[in-house]
Amino acid sequence: MEIIQVVGIGLLSTVLILVLKEQKPMFAFLLTTAAGILIFLFLIGKIGTILGTLERVAESSGMEMIYIKTVFKIIGISYIAEFGAQIVRDAGQESIASKIELAGKVLIMVLAVPIISIIIETVMKLLPA
Amino acid sequence: MTWLGDWLRELILVVLMAAFVEMLLPGKSMERYARLVLSLLVLLTMLSPVVSLLKGDAAKELSVALVQQEQRGGLLRGAGRGAGTLEQILADGRMLAAGAKEQSLQLAAEEVAGQMQEQVAGSTGLQGVKVTVKLGLGLASGLGGEEVPVITGVTVSLPAASGTGPNSGTEAGAGTGAEPIRVEPVVPVQVQIGESEGGAAREATAGAAGGVNGGQDAGAADVAATAEGIIRMLETSWNLERGIIQVAGNPADTGKS
Repeated sequence: MEIIQVVGIGLLSTVLILVLKEQKPMFAFLLTTAAGILIFLFLIGKIGTILGTLERVAESSGMEMIYIKTVFKIIGISYIAEFGAQIVRDAGQESIASKIELAGKVLIMVLAVPIISIIIETVMKLLPA
Repeated sequence: MTWLGDWLRELILVVLMAAFVEMLLPGKSMERYARLVLSLLVLLTMLSPVVSLLKGDAAKELSVALVQQEQRGGLLRGAGRGAGTLEQILADGRMLAAGAKEQSLQLAAEEVAGQMQEQVAGSTGLQGVKVTVKLGLGLASGLGGEEVPVITGVTVSLPAASGTGPNSGTEAGAGTGAEPIRVEPVVPVQVQIGESEGGAAREATAGAAGGVNGGQDAGAADVAATAEGIIRMLETSWNLERGIIQVAGNPADTGKS
């Protein structure tokens, strides 16, 4: 029944924002941000449950924890970047939103650097000198 | 063949996790990038046996690289600064070398302990003797001040069978009245205790049971002699100082007091 709560918050805030937008656009933006944060906080516990399950399964099956840590970092970066970019986009700043997304993409790529270097080093060692 | 099973299990788990995480991603814009990193992880898992052959453990390599990246000041700054200064690289190298040295010292200590254990078992005939060796780095006089591994402590734990005698011996040693004890083989010996005390002691050493009531002192002396023998043997064969060898379960202390 949580989905009803989320949709309720969304609909309520949309109506309020539409009313406020004509009179006070600034407050309308604040309300948008607040509604977004509220829904995000509502979901963060659920995401935590999923990630906890993943971690437990990985631990019990003897999987290397560094892989799980990398994956969690990817998820975290993409959620935070996407959330921030959407808030800024709501405020009408499309260019800043795209910059935030770019930062998220770069940070995810930075996570790939050690993995790429290990793979390349291994391949170079396999090749005859 | 267990490594093949482990490798397959890990590979399947990583692929499953990658598929699951891809669904968990919030928007389309990040998907391509996240997919790249996830596929690299899958590739690394597939290559992990080759990596472990050529470079060592793949997961450890990755964790070391990620920790170094974080130590350079987070993802953004670490990426901007590149490889870091010479001092940083040298410091990292020293850290890695220290870790490797510690590991090799531990391995050498285990090896030495194993050899000592065999020697002790061969000379005394005692089974289940445990030897723990501590290795440290000391300056060698003959090698121009170079650091070499030195044995800093040896602990020999005698098996429980030879250690039980002296504990009860402190109580029963003074009183020759000799109450019968619970250990069953003692029962025929108890008859001899009534005749003479010396006879019981002789019986205890001959039987080597260490639990004979009247012969507790003799049993303690026996174990003390064994400990003394072990210490002397280690002293001569390993060229060690007497102070660093400890024999646990050594009854010499309790016997004197």
